Amino acid sequence: MSTTNDSAAKPRRARNPERVILFYVSNQMFAIAAEAVQEIRSTDSLAGAAVEIEGCEIAKVRHTVERNHHTYYVVSGCVHFNLPVTRPTLVLILRRYRVVVLVDRIDRMAEIPAIYALPSAFEGDERRWYRGLAYIDDNVIPVIDAAGFLTASDFEQLDRIVKASAAHRELEGAVQA
Amino acid sequence: MSMTEITGKPSFVVMQIGRRHFALPSDTVVELAPPVKLHRFPHNSRLLAGVIVRRGRIVPVYDAASVLIGNSGFTQRFYLIARRRFGNSTNFGAIPVNGECELASGDVLPPSDDHAAYVIGTLAFNGEAIDVIDFNALAALNSPGVAESARAELPS
Repeated sequence: MSTTNDSAAKPRRARNPERVILFYVSNQMFAIAAEAVQEIRSTDSLAGAAVEIEGCEIAKVRHTVERNHHTYYVVSGCVHFNLPVTRPTLVLILRRYRVVVLVDRIDRMAEIPAIYALPSAFEGDERRWYRGLAYIDDNVIPVIDAAGFLTASDFEQLDRIVKASAAHRELEGAVQA
Repeated sequence: MSMTEITGKPSFVVMQIGRRHFALPSDTVVELAPPVKLHRFPHNSRLLAGVIVRRGRIVPVYDAASVLIGNSGFTQRFYLIARRRFGNSTNFGAIPVNGECELASGDVLPPSDDHAAYVIGTLAFNGEAIDVIDFNALAALNSPGVAESARAELPS
């Protein structure tokens, strides 16, 4: 029997309206759940704390930041979404993931009554990038999945590189001493 | 009563993309939507241009022109909305067209030997033999798995 798949077409009614942060990366507006973001800071405030990662094959990650004894990975929003590279001014420090996202600017906070499922026709990486779509002020805005910036295997690879780099630095320090 | 019931022959919606005409079986067509805003956002589904909002639904827009005529079809601002199967379910998809669509009926002749997988036959229309398109097969070119084979089918 054939049925029309309403989940892809109609909004999945949320039990409660959701607060989102609307922000821009390379002139493209995105939404992310406000509860997924721990902190918003300027890139300048992180500049001194950022450490460059060497030998990393994940192009969107070039730096780490230490926070609360954990290594956070700085993800370029432009590279992640394959958008033209711009100069980011802000970072979103995520709450549940060791990820700091470089973004251009924050637009505002908003409340969305529902998230529409991403239509099944979208079959690429966007299925990992987005939780769904929001309809705000006559615009369809992708709602980002905070888990989609780095995969478990990305974290493993990055952790390995950072660990090896730290061991190398320790060895160099010991030799110099 | 459908056109098929009236004439006894299958009916089709003939659409113009670029300078060419193509036909879709009328039972797969939902409506011809007026020009509405195309919403774009980053993705890497190769055949999708974005989405439109129509009757409270978010409908993906397929850049069918890039496959059918080798050029992107976004000078065409109307949207022909058709059904696409996904397993046991059916979703809607939109194709940008120039708005001049006609209902036609007639017998479908077999496609040429070197036809693309999405061409299910040819239809005589105003003295022209036009391709009848299987929207499901056309939209399937969007899938990452068929991307490579699809390139070979693109018109040169």
